[in-house]
Amino acid sequence: MMKWKIWKFLAAWTGGFLAGGMLLCAPVRAAQTKAVPAWDSVLSEARGQTVDWFMYGGFPAANAYVNGYVVPEVKKRFGVTLRQAPVTDIAEVIGRLLVEKQAGKTENAQADLLWINGENFRTAKRNGLLYGPFAERLPHHRLVNGELPSVKNDFGEPVEGLESPWGAAQVVFHYDTARTPVPPEHMGALIDWIKAHPGRFTYPAPPDFTGSVFVRHIFYHVSGGAAVWQGPVEEERLEKAEALTYRLLKDLSPYLWREGKTYPETPVRMSQLFADGEIDFSFSYHPAEASKNIKDGLYPDTVRTFVPREGAIGNTHFLAIPFNAGDKAGAMVVADFLLSPEAQLKKADITAWGDFPAIDIRRLDPGWQDKFKALPRGEATLSDEVLRARLLPEPPSEILVRLEAGWQEHVLKGR
Amino acid sequence: MMQGLDADSLGPSPTELMRPWRLVLPAVLVVGFLFGGGAAFGVFQALGYLPSAGMTRLSLSHVGNALCDPDFIGSLCFSLYVSIFSTAVAAFFATLLAVALDALSGQSRVAAFLIQVPLAVPHLVVAVAMFFLLSPTGWLSRLGASFGIIGSAERFPILVNDDGAIGIMAVYVWKEVPFIGLMVLAAIKQGGADFIEAGKTLKAGSVQRFRHILLPMIGPSLWSASLIVFAYTFGNFEVPYLLGRTHPTMLPVQAYKNYADIDLAARPEGIALGIIIAAVTVLCIWMSRRFMAKAEEQGTAP
Repeated sequence: MMKWKIWKFLAAWTGGFLAGGMLLCAPVRAAQTKAVPAWDSVLSEARGQTVDWFMYGGFPAANAYVNGYVVPEVKKRFGVTLRQAPVTDIAEVIGRLLVEKQAGKTENAQADLLWINGENFRTAKRNGLLYGPFAERLPHHRLVNGELPSVKNDFGEPVEGLESPWGAAQVVFHYDTARTPVPPEHMGALIDWIKAHPGRFTYPAPPDFTGSVFVRHIFYHVSGGAAVWQGPVEEERLEKAEALTYRLLKDLSPYLWREGKTYPETPVRMSQLFADGEIDFSFSYHPAEASKNIKDGLYPDTVRTFVPREGAIGNTHFLAIPFNAGDKAGAMVVADFLLSPEAQLKKADITAWGDFPAIDIRRLDPGWQDKFKALPRGEATLSDEVLRARLLPEPPSEILVRLEAGWQEHVLKGR
Repeated sequence: MMQGLDADSLGPSPTELMRPWRLVLPAVLVVGFLFGGGAAFGVFQALGYLPSAGMTRLSLSHVGNALCDPDFIGSLCFSLYVSIFSTAVAAFFATLLAVALDALSGQSRVAAFLIQVPLAVPHLVVAVAMFFLLSPTGWLSRLGASFGIIGSAERFPILVNDDGAIGIMAVYVWKEVPFIGLMVLAAIKQGGADFIEAGKTLKAGSVQRFRHILLPMIGPSLWSASLIVFAYTFGNFEVPYLLGRTHPTMLPVQAYKNYADIDLAARPEGIALGIIIAAVTVLCIWMSRRFMAKAEEQGTAP
């Protein structure tokens, strides 16, 4: 007898929850439309929303910036509750969005904002997983130079307003002036240096992203540059360039750390080897990372950075909103705030993070321009002029994926 | 309630027979749903059912691809080598440890405490610590260089990320010796010192006592604990990920690499490898329980 009462009780509560939930959902469903509404209505709709931002969680500096600065600021200014959801790879979230789309879950999904670029953006765009175009509707978008190739295209894929820029990255090499007073000037000189100093260089094993960018630099080096790969690609030409790349890296491997039999699994490990003195170079996508490491006591203060004469690969990283996000207005407000001069300035400060701004400084008021120029860059960071003058675009993500797979097959396993 | 023809005289009623099942039903449902459901989901993915990548037909081709992959044989052999060798070494030292602890017989509380330290430390922490200890620029190397034992830090032998998986095995041995040792010690204590005393009375030498009395006594428990250790080291991910080579790698790392591959078509192969690892683990656990049952028969179960 008691058992029936318990079941009735449970059934009543479950039914009550379901009914209440559906009632709560109804007004939100009515508010979501296909077109991007005017900014004032976006701001008022965003107030009170909770934005779940899925982003790579492996940068302590980025996490500190988001949780320590962005979260309180958007709460104070816009009444938006921002929650960081760290992931090891945003591809997981893209995979989940694909599943949700196929399952027909077209609204009120948990993920509201994504930190994304490259092949993940391409997959998301081609499968219709993104909301928008919304980027040009953000008020602070006027500060972005939309004509820059690295802003207009994300790894060769046209952005078309489906993602909003957040920051920029460029590869720089770290070296210790105490051990290597004169670093190699260009990629050819670096390769000669490696052969002359066996066991003193390595790179993280692809598919790690930082290791993969070294392979991309070699790819550009053997194929005559980056320009030829922007735009439609001939298969035969690509195959020849790939073969040359793998052969060069395979021939180079006996001169690497541990004779190329093993590679560090992450750039963190590579930097650790560099700091410990096992290898003489490290490299990173963040121009300010060496300065930050010196400041944090992880690197000796004799460390400096250089970029090869022919240029170093750089890219922009973006924010996108899933098609089925439950809090699109809140997400747009957060993305816009992140583009504001205050947020970009704080982000560029190496005491906070040191990530390069996505906005064009020249479009700011003189007062703001001075603030950006006055930012402490750290002794190991190169000047903006040098970096921008030696910037190479990323190859299309199809090439990137092929290089990563090909490296594992031909260089690592030697087949 | 009528006397005479009541429930007791007719044996337990169906509801009473079901009572134990009803009590464990909530736990069984949760475990079955979450773990069993996950495992079933994994099996489907291993058979190629991955709608998000456009694969909707079940087939054994992914399992076949995983098994025929030359990397699979390499990883499997490497995993077996590391697991068998580290389990054997750990079992050897654990037996010595158990005999020593039995001889000390609770006199040394310090020893008893030290033995328990490795049990409490997670494998990941031990792996990182071994790395700092044994890497060419690690603590032992710098100690050796400053005391002049080795010429310079670079002369230190390669013990981590090496071909022989020495760093990995050091972690496993350090962690598992107390585990096996304590299980063997329990068997010795349960088995009773009587037999050993009887052996001494009958003038059996210490080697004879060890071979003919002690070893058969602890045998089932030793096998049982060793099988558990083997199964764990076979399926462990974090230690080979940190201390292993990029290639060839051990089976769990290989499974993860396949699973996390950009090419979603590689995912079923990764899951297939995971299922193989799980099958080996289950087999070892089953065998281990059979040995435990034998130990109970013998009277040496803890």
